[in-house]
Amino acid sequence: MKHHAEHLSISGRALLDRRQFLSNSATALGSIALTNLLGLDGLLAAESDGPIINPARPYAPRQPHFPGKAKNVVVIFCAGAVSQLETWDYKPELIKWDDKPLPGGPAVTFQGPAGNLARPQYEFRQRGKTGKWVSEMIPHLAELTDDIAFVHSLTSKSNTHGPAENFLSTGFVLDGFPSLGSWVTYALGSESQELPSYVAIPDPRGVPQNGANNWGPGFLPAAFQGTTMSSKNPVRHLTAPGVSGDADRAARSLLQRMNARHLEANPGDGKLAARIASYELAARMQLSVPEINDLSTEPAHILKMYGADDAQNPDKAAFAKNCILARRLIEKGVRFVQLFNGAYASGGKLNWDGHNALKEQYDVHAGILDQPAAALIRDLKQRGLLEDTLVVWCTEFGRMPFFQKGAKGRDHNPDGFTCWLTGAGVKPGVSHGRTDDLGQKAIENIHPLYHFNATILHLLGLDYERLSFEHNGIQRRLTNVEGKLIPELLA
Amino acid sequence: MKSSLGSYALVLSLCLGACAAAAPVDFVRDVRQIFEKHCIECHGEKKQKSGFRLDVKAEALKGGDNHGPDIIPGKAKESPLIHLVSTTDEDEVMPPKGARLSVAEIDTLTRWIDEGAAWPDGVDRVKLADKRDHWSFKVISASVEKPQPLSIDAFIDAKLAENGLRRSPPADPVAVIRRIAFDLTGLPPTPERVSAFVEECRDGSSFVIRHSSLQRLADDFLASPRYGERWAQHWLDVVRFADTHGFEVNTERPNAWPYRDYVIRAFNNDTPYDRFIKEQIVGDAMGEDAATGFLVTASALLPDQIGKDAPSMRLARQDSLDEIVNNVGQTFLGLSVGCARCHDHKFDPITAKDYYAMQAFFAGVQYGERPIRDQHSEELRKTELAELELKKTKAGTGRVIFIDDEDSARTTSLKKKNGHGENPAGKGRGYRDDEGGADWVPNISRGRYTWWDNVPDADTFTWNPGVEGRFRVWLSWGVHGSGVHTRDARYVLDRDGNLATRDDQTEIGNADQFRFANITEGDSEKTPLWSGLRDAGVQELRGESRIILRGGKTGTGITADVLVLEEGDGLKGAVADFSRFEKRKAELARGPVVFGGIFTEPEDIRLLSRGDPEQPKDEVLPAVLSAFGELTLPKATPEQKRRKALADWIASPKNPLTARVMVNRIWQGHFGTGLVETPSDFGHNGMKPTHPELLDWLAAEFMRSGWSVKHMHRLIVMSETYRQSGFGFSRTDAAKAAATLDADIHLLWRYPGRRLEAETLRDSMLAVSGQLNLGMYGRGFNLFNQRGGLSGFNPVETLTPENQRRMIYAHKVRREPEVVFGAFDCPDAGQSTAIRRASTTPIQALNLFNSRFTLQVSEAFAARLKKETGDDLVKQINRVYQIALTRNASAGELSDAEPVVRQHGLAVLCRAIFNSNEFLFVP
Repeated sequence: MKHHAEHLSISGRALLDRRQFLSNSATALGSIALTNLLGLDGLLAAESDGPIINPARPYAPRQPHFPGKAKNVVVIFCAGAVSQLETWDYKPELIKWDDKPLPGGPAVTFQGPAGNLARPQYEFRQRGKTGKWVSEMIPHLAELTDDIAFVHSLTSKSNTHGPAENFLSTGFVLDGFPSLGSWVTYALGSESQELPSYVAIPDPRGVPQNGANNWGPGFLPAAFQGTTMSSKNPVRHLTAPGVSGDADRAARSLLQRMNARHLEANPGDGKLAARIASYELAARMQLSVPEINDLSTEPAHILKMYGADDAQNPDKAAFAKNCILARRLIEKGVRFVQLFNGAYASGGKLNWDGHNALKEQYDVHAGILDQPAAALIRDLKQRGLLEDTLVVWCTEFGRMPFFQKGAKGRDHNPDGFTCWLTGAGVKPGVSHGRTDDLGQKAIENIHPLYHFNATILHLLGLDYERLSFEHNGIQRRLTNVEGKLIPELLA
Repeated sequence: MKSSLGSYALVLSLCLGACAAAAPVDFVRDVRQIFEKHCIECHGEKKQKSGFRLDVKAEALKGGDNHGPDIIPGKAKESPLIHLVSTTDEDEVMPPKGARLSVAEIDTLTRWIDEGAAWPDGVDRVKLADKRDHWSFKVISASVEKPQPLSIDAFIDAKLAENGLRRSPPADPVAVIRRIAFDLTGLPPTPERVSAFVEECRDGSSFVIRHSSLQRLADDFLASPRYGERWAQHWLDVVRFADTHGFEVNTERPNAWPYRDYVIRAFNNDTPYDRFIKEQIVGDAMGEDAATGFLVTASALLPDQIGKDAPSMRLARQDSLDEIVNNVGQTFLGLSVGCARCHDHKFDPITAKDYYAMQAFFAGVQYGERPIRDQHSEELRKTELAELELKKTKAGTGRVIFIDDEDSARTTSLKKKNGHGENPAGKGRGYRDDEGGADWVPNISRGRYTWWDNVPDADTFTWNPGVEGRFRVWLSWGVHGSGVHTRDARYVLDRDGNLATRDDQTEIGNADQFRFANITEGDSEKTPLWSGLRDAGVQELRGESRIILRGGKTGTGITADVLVLEEGDGLKGAVADFSRFEKRKAELARGPVVFGGIFTEPEDIRLLSRGDPEQPKDEVLPAVLSAFGELTLPKATPEQKRRKALADWIASPKNPLTARVMVNRIWQGHFGTGLVETPSDFGHNGMKPTHPELLDWLAAEFMRSGWSVKHMHRLIVMSETYRQSGFGFSRTDAAKAAATLDADIHLLWRYPGRRLEAETLRDSMLAVSGQLNLGMYGRGFNLFNQRGGLSGFNPVETLTPENQRRMIYAHKVRREPEVVFGAFDCPDAGQSTAIRRASTTPIQALNLFNSRFTLQVSEAFAARLKKETGDDLVKQINRVYQIALTRNASAGELSDAEPVVRQHGLAVLCRAIFNSNEFLFVP
């Protein structure tokens, strides 16, 4: 592993040390003053539980509210709403009722008139020690069920992709609220000082339906927004195009001298020092980001394990590379990685929105998701990274037990769907909550997504009621006023 | 001990039970202790779980959030309180932790309720705080104790003195002019304006800023159109303006920008703020249609995105009304009215009923476009139409020539036409609104073709280009899957234009009019479509040459459509231009519109239990917040009158919040922080003002001046408080002491310098490099390759005159950060941004140091310098400092820069300057 400290100027290194940073500033800067520098003015009143953030090191690791089992998170976000009925929530009753109308069922659902009930479109069989029924659609992920804690009884507040993806990612259906990853990095910073603390990896086929709002900082400082990067598109502006190395270094050193002179003349404000430090951090990122994206150092058996070498299926190979990138980011101490599977609205062609030809489209999507995602979890496990990494598999809502009229696909269903957790702090082999016999509505241990998010925060040592940020007069939280733990998922 | 206590309690409770018939339960003696023992911890003064408290009569009898009253006098069985303390359901029982209520205690409560739940007045140990008792809800008093002489400085000095502090010495003239320029116009001052000002201030060897010079400076900047562009941005942040609809499809909202232009004009005209409010709420009644864009700035689901089931529709409607209420509440009143959507406001005197009563003012407002009927837009429309017409006449002589089948000046029909095939509406290939695809161009046929009977080998129609030169000829025709159209129409170039002579004719192409231009197999839709373009090769044309459409051997019909002549390359671009031009013309013909809301018959508004549209309660009439006024409108009040009534109430001098909230926003624009640090929350949860008397005096002064925003700017920038030293002043002991006491500079013992905002930074870089295009108004320029939509947005990285306009004229895509400056805390227009955080991140550093934007602007700056100063290196370097930092370079800076510039060129210095702290911070 390379060390980049030597690339820092002496003043830069000093700035990275908080105590020196303080003593170098001509006036006394208390920790309250320091917090201003990131734009957190007035937000950390004495009774507040907001983190104390060192402006020179916005991504420095910070203490959680209580010791958490998980340090890092990988979220596998399946955009478009994966059908629970074709994956994890086995409903044999549906086979009996196949192609029969649902008595008393809704005449019209999200997209239009409802058709007849439809059997699961894949065969199911039991797996592992727990005997969990999982479909043949996802044979690789199915092998991992002994390590997984499923929640089958989640509900969403919206049956529309955009608001529902917002709800999953930010806890609010409206645009403009901070995403889970922003909350987590705001609270905990990052173990890595050379990479962004929060990385969002879009699907190779495109960004999810609600795009950047899924990794946006909302009203949190911009430091905590997700940085997008993928195996195809690395971080922007890492180098200056068309500028020679000499000219680049000359500009950099000239800038350093300018800022040093200016700081000398204006010693009283930490904002200036923080900005100088940000250039030092950027310089380190310029070296470490290309390195993390260079998959040529991965051995052939790893590429094969993920399916990154699958020449027949370029989308799968590209997603597999994103999965490898996710593992490498976690290895380097990046706090939060959001890995997207599925792109934008496309009649189900590019994501899991199977309205019309569900089976046909899911064959394709599962082929992209299954092996790479399963390999990621296995790989994290075999490297010991799963000890302190939480893996979340989620989707914005589920699908109806009946087909849409005149189609071979299922409509949106926010009333009962499945997401799961595995890894650090998660109780293995659990299936919690239940939908009715047709898989239409959650009927036992019903959990709005708030509870799922609250549980994720808890695993990181964060109290969902204390992690808050004041915005326009309201102490905002990821879980609004609705959070609750799902203790059944905890080890 | 324990057991004796237990038996004592048992005896007591038995006794109470036995004595019940004789003596009624007494609240103070019997009931209150039970509440205090079991309930108050969670339902008392400190916590009110589920919004319920049992220590205050009024609150206890009202009940909590989740259902009706918990105590129903005379009906213990129906009272949720009794159910909750006696149930065996683990999930429901109260208290959830700790000891349950004893049988005797439950019995006491039951009897107390059955006996009528008598709760004497005046016995409660705590008094419910009156939520109305709050500084900002009180009238703005003209009688506050005022320092003499009356000025901003006097108020600030008084507070500093209370804390043993003093103001810092005055900043130098350069810092002052830079500060005022950035604050008022968002651009650095020109070196010429700076030196003139500095000369005016010269007083022997030192500098004195005279009142008259300062006044002139303020007047100049306030009179500049740049002022409106700067301050409109602050306003647009608060109302979360964007040019897309948001949510999943995030499609373009193509006519949102007239509202943006309205705001710029309003600030430039110093529209009185009370009028500004009214125009935004009910501008349709005031000749300012564009102003009501304010009502519908939020993200909105388009009809296609809303579920077809009734609950989905009700929820979407509620969400869209909620956004209007939020916008009005936060922006004008500084109140989080939206909090009362699900329950009474926890901190402020806003009930859920108040919230829905506020909705009722807007019950007839729908999200959508409306024609603009004001004079200003009519003029704009005429100008643009004239410009388009001019361009159109040019189009005929340009490199690419379009000849429509219905262009009577340049075509000849040789036979009687049968009529037209109309392309159906829609975006599919060949449909009227076809926007083109990977291998075909957008529909440029104007949506219809002409058709005749097909007579084999008969000349039917000619295109008569009337131009000379070598052109590539592109053919197009009408497609129909009915099988009627000829499968082999022929296209013949007649060089001399005399159809009778045949030896000068060449067949340049033929067409299967059953299919699209580049398709050779498969079926076709049985509907009239446009073919797209077929290449008929490069042909030499003379002025008189014509292209003949000649009958094919098959089919009974033959069609003609637009013919395109291309001189050299660039067809695709020209086609796209043409298509845009046609579209824009159609839009203009329709007249200008604004996404400013559609006004319809008001819907009934009902109070919704827990904010759930599926749980409607009583109907609610339009009424102002009950704690602030009594205005209630009858149900029959028509739509526009409702909005007018609310606007009048908000924009009244009697409203305690309106003026205070706005002067605070103005103050914040100059000092980075308002006197109230929470500019959109003046309620109990917001911060108290650091200088309440000053705030009230400013608010009163604001109204006295006729609500003049520019008057407030003048007051502020003319003050000594505003003109004291900033960053530089910190070496003295006094400054160190002040920093210890008041690190956040709340008391303004020095000027709090701050980083430039994203837009100011981009605009300033362009201005300094000499490339800023000062064109105002109109449709936004593109930051991305698309103006809205589902998939990833690729940035436009090449500078053009269009995108060298100020950033407020960028087409704002909601949630999609601009690729370089978005990282500088640029709001995403999701939620209201009343304060911009100024964070510092390595991504900002990467963007500003390495982006193409910075490099291009640096090169342009270097070119400007060479032009202005010639080849003298020292002059060049000095000029960099003068233009970018409004000062000369020091000797040390010259010697730093000189070798670098000599070796690597001037652009390297420019790139460094654009990244320097001195450039990035308001001094």
